[in-house]
Amino acid sequence: MNSAPAPPPSSTPSSAPSAETSGETSTSTTSPTTSPTTSPTPSTPSARRHLLRAALTRLLSSLGVLWAAVTVVFVLSRASGDPVAQLLPENANPEQVAQMQATLGLDRPLIVQYLDFLGGLVRLDLGDSLLYREPVTSLIAERIPATALLAATALLITVVVSFLAGSIAAMRRGTGVDRTVMSLVLVGQSTPAFWVGILLVLLFGVQLRVLPAAGYGTLAHLVLPATTLAIFSVAVVARLLRSSLIEVMGQDHVRTARAKGAGEVRVLLAHSLRNASMPVITVLGLELGALLGGAILTEQIFNWPGIGRLTIDAISFRDFPLVQGTVVLFAATFIVVNLLVDLSYAIIDPRVRTEA
Amino acid sequence: MTSLPRPTRRDALRLGACGSALGAVALTTGCGSEPAAGDARALRIAQKSEPTGLDPHLESGLDGMNVLINIFDTLTMRDTDNELVPRLATSWEAVDEHRWRFHLREGVTFHNGEPFDAASVKFSIERLIDPATESTIIELRAVDHAEIVDEHTVDIVMAVPDPVIPEKVSLFGGVMLPPGYLEDVGAEQFAAQPVGTGPFRFVSWRKAQLLRLEANAEHWNGRPAFDELHFTAMPNPASALAGIQSDAVDMVSALDPEAALQLEGYKDVALEKYPGIRMYFVVLDTEHEILRDERVRRALNHAVDVPLLIEAVLNDSGREAATIVPREAFGYVPDIPPPERDPDLARRLLAEAGYADGIELRFTSSNKEQLVCEALAGMLGDVGVTLDLELLEPGTFAERLESDDPSSLGSMYLTGSTGWTLDGGATLQSYIRSDRRRSRIRSDHADALMDTIEQTIDPDTRLEALQEMQQWLRDEAPFLFLYQADLDFATNGEITWEPNVNGTLAMETAR
Repeated sequence: MNSAPAPPPSSTPSSAPSAETSGETSTSTTSPTTSPTTSPTPSTPSARRHLLRAALTRLLSSLGVLWAAVTVVFVLSRASGDPVAQLLPENANPEQVAQMQATLGLDRPLIVQYLDFLGGLVRLDLGDSLLYREPVTSLIAERIPATALLAATALLITVVVSFLAGSIAAMRRGTGVDRTVMSLVLVGQSTPAFWVGILLVLLFGVQLRVLPAAGYGTLAHLVLPATTLAIFSVAVVARLLRSSLIEVMGQDHVRTARAKGAGEVRVLLAHSLRNASMPVITVLGLELGALLGGAILTEQIFNWPGIGRLTIDAISFRDFPLVQGTVVLFAATFIVVNLLVDLSYAIIDPRVRTEA
Repeated sequence: MTSLPRPTRRDALRLGACGSALGAVALTTGCGSEPAAGDARALRIAQKSEPTGLDPHLESGLDGMNVLINIFDTLTMRDTDNELVPRLATSWEAVDEHRWRFHLREGVTFHNGEPFDAASVKFSIERLIDPATESTIIELRAVDHAEIVDEHTVDIVMAVPDPVIPEKVSLFGGVMLPPGYLEDVGAEQFAAQPVGTGPFRFVSWRKAQLLRLEANAEHWNGRPAFDELHFTAMPNPASALAGIQSDAVDMVSALDPEAALQLEGYKDVALEKYPGIRMYFVVLDTEHEILRDERVRRALNHAVDVPLLIEAVLNDSGREAATIVPREAFGYVPDIPPPERDPDLARRLLAEAGYADGIELRFTSSNKEQLVCEALAGMLGDVGVTLDLELLEPGTFAERLESDDPSSLGSMYLTGSTGWTLDGGATLQSYIRSDRRRSRIRSDHADALMDTIEQTIDPDTRLEALQEMQQWLRDEAPFLFLYQADLDFATNGEITWEPNVNGTLAMETAR
């Protein structure tokens, strides 16, 4: 996903690494060494204790976030209605409604249902869907590949396109090229994704018939939904990278490189991109959240058989266990992504591995 | 660790399936979307949703039933003329108030070769009413058990008399399941690989993608014309349009009027309208301080120009209704005219009732019906009736419909009712009797009529009660009568097929 790691700029005045790690940094003990400056593996016992404590803190806070998320969803979903009203036809009599509620375990006290849900969560058992009568875990597992494929492709498109657009705009800043690229990007950011999606369907699927309008199965099916999903993120990331690059390119070490006669492209690749990528990585992590949210809409438009459509069905039918399951998945994904973002700092910027 | 049917999936999830799943997908993305084998003629149908599962006893939604009705046969059926005709039962009669006898077709076999006989019927009916099955199908609640008379005769024995049993076994309640197969493989495997006697056999189902059936060459009614049926779910009309235009589907069923309007005028898209049975009406709270006055309720009916509403909002996809009983249902009274559409008369009636300065009423509906609600608010506003509209998300609306608190839906609410048994009592039963949660009527006379309609076996007595009930509705106006919705289909223009008024997708007749 990241640009190829460039050799560290020889002129970067990096402080000598100490063996301390801050609580904010990655907890990986096998982080790949990308720069010859230091080995990230702590060598002293006290540093190891630090690291362990940091890891534990991180794990506990992640679990806390997960618990908070599922609790909020548990409460909200039950406050929003009763699934039995939709599961049974209109002429169901009160006895039949009561029987169905008992069958689904919805007649138990809320606290019992809550503890039961938490207990199941510990065993990674999310219960059975009320609508599909199947284990929530297998329903979700069936749909993960499609959404993962869509989100990953969109992320790839985002990275490639935004790095190209951002770099070109930064190198040619103030020129017509810069203005054109950035205007296009702004248009992408301002148009609602679902509208873009429908236009793409009408143009490529219906008028030109070069790409399938909807469905799943081949690479051709992936093009339109992934593009639709990527458009907004491309805009965000490209603009950020451009400003970040412009800032970095004004720094001393870059001026030094230029003075030594490095060309514009070399200045970009060897001396600027790596430093300018730091804020972008953070935003990419956040964008993954936007991508998951966007996937729900995009999957509806393109009939993509992923988690998004399952989530919409689950919510509209008040399928509590399934709603809870999808939220657990989303929350867990966010937690993991945050962790990866922190990790990547340590890989990209040697200074992070030291006490900042 | 609890034991689970698919431990590998569970493991995948536990390991953070994203990574591993991605790899798996990357390897399989090359495979196409399974075209029909060889030169097989496949009919590809898109509906709004797909089944929640394939056990017909657990499926109470129409979209799901539309798939299953091709795999499973029912005892009786509604043909395209809406007549109740033989299916797996060749004839039937009421032996007495508590006993319906069905004579079964001989020589019928299930897809797995298992013979169909009285034991299959007894098994199917009793499985449906067994609480352990957890069925969402409620039509057979008055059945006590089934009795085998001989190999091809079976009695359905009632706990409480029910005159509509032959109609109720024409769809949801009447699917016939293979007892031997179910015993061998269990309910879970049965739902994964369903076996019926129907004109199509189950082939495969990739969730949220494609459900495939193939023609059953041995079907007792002959082989269907199409070799395969493909069902996909397309929740939004834009995909459906794209699907038809790009030749990914042949037919889109049950379009909303506004969706059908979107598909109008495209080449390669044929829009077909058929009469449907879903009744739309506004339930008026007859206990409400203003709506208690029958003159006010009649005024509302005169104020709303239903033909204009059908033309302007529904794109002509509906028929004006003077009652809440569908025209095709048993007991429908054709000679009750709809109310005159006369705003002046409406104003006069309101003035007579003491509301010359207008009134304000709280009106609740599902937001799916937003356009209709806004049209109603406009027309009623013209005669001085201000509607305080509350449009709810459909799930919330459904819950309030079933709530015991009548005020949760305000002084009036818009509803739709599909009485697929085509019995006049079907749409009446939830909205009239004072003990039903959706009812806003308190009348001993209406209750007594409902009891006759629901519990009398003799058709003539029932017919009289149904007719009297509709006359009573006309006089009392406890509802704002609206329309009977049409069924809108879009096809590629190359399919010869006609639904019955229920719109059931029984595709054996498609050419």
